[in-house]
Amino acid sequence: MAALWKTCQQCLRYRFSNVSIYTSITAVNVISKRNFKAHWVAPTLRELKRRKVIEDDLNGGPKIFHRSTFLEWNYDAEIFAFSNRLGEKFNDLSLRAALTHKSYIERETARLSDIGVESNLQFQDNEALSQKGGELLSKFINGYLRAVFTQVPEELIRAMHDFLTSNPTLETVARHIGLGDLMLCADFPCKTETYVKSFKAIVAALAESSGEERARIFVQDLVVTQLYGQDVNELWNPVDPVGNLTAILKREGKAEPEFRLIRQAGSNSILGVYYVGLYSDKNFISEGAGESLEVAKEMAAREALKKLFRTEDSMRALPFGRQLKNIQSKIAQLENQPNIPLSEWISEKVMSAVH
Amino acid sequence: MSNSHMFLPSGFIRTPLQNGLGRYIPQLQRITLKFCKNHGGSRGVRDFIESDLMEFAKTNPGTVVYLKPRRHRSPCMVAEYLNGEREYLSCHEFSRDEVHKWLSYMCTRSGIPVMRFRKYQHTDYPTVQGVWNPFTHQAPEINIAEFPHEVLSRPLDHGPTATEQLIEIFKKTQIEDPANKPPEL
Repeated sequence: MAALWKTCQQCLRYRFSNVSIYTSITAVNVISKRNFKAHWVAPTLRELKRRKVIEDDLNGGPKIFHRSTFLEWNYDAEIFAFSNRLGEKFNDLSLRAALTHKSYIERETARLSDIGVESNLQFQDNEALSQKGGELLSKFINGYLRAVFTQVPEELIRAMHDFLTSNPTLETVARHIGLGDLMLCADFPCKTETYVKSFKAIVAALAESSGEERARIFVQDLVVTQLYGQDVNELWNPVDPVGNLTAILKREGKAEPEFRLIRQAGSNSILGVYYVGLYSDKNFISEGAGESLEVAKEMAAREALKKLFRTEDSMRALPFGRQLKNIQSKIAQLENQPNIPLSEWISEKVMSAVH
Repeated sequence: MSNSHMFLPSGFIRTPLQNGLGRYIPQLQRITLKFCKNHGGSRGVRDFIESDLMEFAKTNPGTVVYLKPRRHRSPCMVAEYLNGEREYLSCHEFSRDEVHKWLSYMCTRSGIPVMRFRKYQHTDYPTVQGVWNPFTHQAPEINIAEFPHEVLSRPLDHGPTATEQLIEIFKKTQIEDPANKPPEL
């Protein structure tokens, strides 16, 4: 700063005031003329966009095109990439059948007959495959759940199975493996049911092509992993935990559950909290917290049931992927063996079931 | 030093469909290389196609490669991911190595838009033992205790007082009376 002032003083003294202190830098236009747009370009584009938005809103959304309408589209290459992406080998015919929907065949035959061409299409649709795939899917999922959740009653297994085979879950999985562009169906954008059907048919096609073992691993890797991050107790919990716990303890020959207040704070305020402990024969089983005594009692009973079923918050992490290598035979075995229902649940029975 | 001036969205690290938990699925669905057969700006892309593209296609069989020769257009690559996202990159005046590197960069992406990671780890189970609350580790005796209490009213890190320490030292220096010792079993 001081040097600049001094230079200025010198310039003025020696009458160099007209010359700038800095040497002029010629503007080098590294990027081509494309970046210099005329003054009217931006306002025009803005106006066009405004009109486009209005048009789209009138038409109920912007126009969407199926990927196959693009010039760069090769269905055979896409199918090849699909099977390689998943690391599985499919029979070509099975895979194509799994991706073809009845609606598509109907539409194509109608179109050809409209033109007047004798339709001799030899497409096979995925109705049968989808049916078989649905059964396989249920079987594999149940096998995994019963092998991992050995202590859990059948009602919770069913709840988890229903969650994993629900339409939203299967649709998400189907979308994220790229089925959206590969399916041949009449509806676009494709409906949830279409995605789910295709996915189930893919499972069946895989079982046909590579065997049931590979199909089981496929389902474990793609569908069962959706259980990660889910709190299983959110999916299902018994309606009357106190009653159910009393029944279980009675069956086991233990004393009736006794509830005791163990902690309490703020009972005069709206933020009151009560901790109720559950004791059986003076042995501490669990505790639960709630805003009132009844709620705390129910929570304590729920915690006790969680402890019995081994589904507490601190339960073991679910095994996935390679961790299932050792229990695959156990999974296959338990596919047809339902767990004990809640009405008959006893610790001794589940202990004996653990291999 | 804040991030409020950044336009880049921020979030926690995540992956589509629990990728990697079961098996790893490469997320790049297809890549379209658009280039001109004549123009100099596409030279790098053309060289890449002639030399390295086959190897790339062989090592990534899960990705479909489309080539789009278009006259008088500058080269670009458009990557499409399994979650529906598209990524456009102009390859004008790229060298062959640059094209290769950017292509392998596209392969490693998941399609989730570029964002600033708030943390490099994520968990759905932040606590195993349970979140601390004021009742954690409290002795049950406080429920029926009358305060001030001899033990519970003392500070936790109090330690033995000087008097108590002296008493302890005295006890240790006591010579044991053999008559007082219990008979050996």
